[in-house]
Amino acid sequence: MNAAVLPFLLPLFTGTLTLFLGKPGTARRAFLVASALVQLGVAAWLIAENLAGRPHVLLAGGWASAVGITLVADLLAAIMVALSSLTALAAVLFTCFESRPRLEHPLRLPLVQFMVAGINLAFLTGDLFNLFVAFEIMLIASYALLTLEADDWDIKQAYPYLAINLVGSTLFICAAGLAYGLFGTLNFAGIITRAADMSGDPRILVLALLLLVVFGTKAGLFPLYYWLPNSYPILPAALAGLYSGMLTKVGVYVLLRMFATVLPHDLSGVHQLIAWLAGLTMVLAVMGALSRNFIRGILSFHILSQIGFMALAIGLFTPLSIAACIFYVIHHIIVKASLFLVGGVATVLNRTDDLDRMGHLWRGTPWVGIVFLCQGLSLAGIPPLSGFWGKYLIIVEGLRAGEYILIGASLVASLLTLLSMLKIWLAAFWSEPEGVAVRVDDWRWRPLLGVVGGLTVLSLGIGFGAEAVMQVALRAAQAALDQPGYVELVLGAGGKGGG
Amino acid sequence: MQIETALLIGALFACATWLILQRSFVRILFGFILLSNAANLLVLSMSGRPEGRGAPVVGETEMPLVDPLPQALILTAIVIGFGVTAYLVVLLYRLFLDQNTTSVSEMYREEEGE
Repeated sequence: MNAAVLPFLLPLFTGTLTLFLGKPGTARRAFLVASALVQLGVAAWLIAENLAGRPHVLLAGGWASAVGITLVADLLAAIMVALSSLTALAAVLFTCFESRPRLEHPLRLPLVQFMVAGINLAFLTGDLFNLFVAFEIMLIASYALLTLEADDWDIKQAYPYLAINLVGSTLFICAAGLAYGLFGTLNFAGIITRAADMSGDPRILVLALLLLVVFGTKAGLFPLYYWLPNSYPILPAALAGLYSGMLTKVGVYVLLRMFATVLPHDLSGVHQLIAWLAGLTMVLAVMGALSRNFIRGILSFHILSQIGFMALAIGLFTPLSIAACIFYVIHHIIVKASLFLVGGVATVLNRTDDLDRMGHLWRGTPWVGIVFLCQGLSLAGIPPLSGFWGKYLIIVEGLRAGEYILIGASLVASLLTLLSMLKIWLAAFWSEPEGVAVRVDDWRWRPLLGVVGGLTVLSLGIGFGAEAVMQVALRAAQAALDQPGYVELVLGAGGKGGG
Repeated sequence: MQIETALLIGALFACATWLILQRSFVRILFGFILLSNAANLLVLSMSGRPEGRGAPVVGETEMPLVDPLPQALILTAIVIGFGVTAYLVVLLYRLFLDQNTTSVSEMYREEEGE
């Protein structure tokens, strides 16, 4: 049994088995939590294997990589798998504590498992068409989850999400087809080898731009982000945490993988374009966040603004900035998911997340406030919280590259992030309007806060142990940028039919 | 053949874009179906020129074979496209039931009035 396939198979089997287990109940929930813990364990083991210098490669059916499908669990992929398993665990636990089994939608948790299977396959795959399949598994599950519990007002917001992703998927097939026409292979290692002989070919540039449009749409880069801030707020908090943590980050990961590992490194024009789009995304999205007046709406716009930071790091394209991007992704997934979940806790306590009708939370439940403050300030980038170190490195690299305007934009975006976090803080936690009650008697908020607290402790750990996390991110960036090493790893695995 | 295929793909993409930008649900649905077909045709054309090549079945013909991989890719893409189209049909039907309209502009105008 090759371990590289486990992060895909485990959630797939779990999801299918759960469907057969019948109605939601305590036993079913225990099974799902156990499975999520095992998945997290496998991901941690894959990271440990990579740190010990043993990346796992699976050649499907034993065929050599140019002939068959390849799964590559290198350090970057293993880190991403660990993050998706962690977020999925948080979503499962949050769902379990949020409602009694009787009230849980029977399809919610199985669909979460299918979505995680698609996400993990997207991280592990070493083949462009298989990546398309992984995206579709993930997207179809996400369409279903988005509309599963939507009421008739919410469901209108699902249509733009579906439409933009359908167009994105179609462009993705076109890009895969054109890549096959251009390189004669869809395998990442094969593409690296062929592209090395075609240096300066304008068709590679066109393909890179097409891929940028496809994955820029998934990641939510300006001007392709309109679908996100209206569709995410219709999700229940547990799922919004998972979506906001993982789905757009799959887009960021694939951009990173494409430009760092697969495509030639001399596309400096495209890198410059990514950096400028990132700068625009940061500033425009954070302004959108300031314009919203409910917690989930504000946080949804912040996802986009933070995507800007990660894309800026990819656009700067130095080994250190790629490492900073990986660090930022690690920090962001945990912080963002926990902010959505703490928003969910606040909604349980105030019975709404409309800022005009919230209040008293600091007096009623100070721990919710402390958790929110830690994660909100971390998102804005206050030292020594985890968000600061990623931003610091990106800014240092940006100044070294002389991109003063973009760095200025990122600082403005950080300041406005802080402002909109304060907006939530003042309205929900600090203000004491009349006629607003804090439902402390609701038993649910304590275990829910426990889930978010766990994520917060982890996030604080990243902030205070930034040196160790950064070393791992640096190694992941080195491995991702090392094109000959990647080819050696995949083609060296040796299978049937290899030439 | 290559030029004709390219023109056909372009025409299909143009029609699909036009249909998707319409207001009626049914036209939008047809637009998405057309869009996925245009993409499939693009992938198919990556097999190269079919003249003078046999079907990709080993032992049937002495001629050089057509590259079969794009056909395998399309097969996958068709299946996925079919599933997503089915989902889109159901979503549009539910929107019709909830909103009592089949026009996108009417559906979102109500929302602004709220």
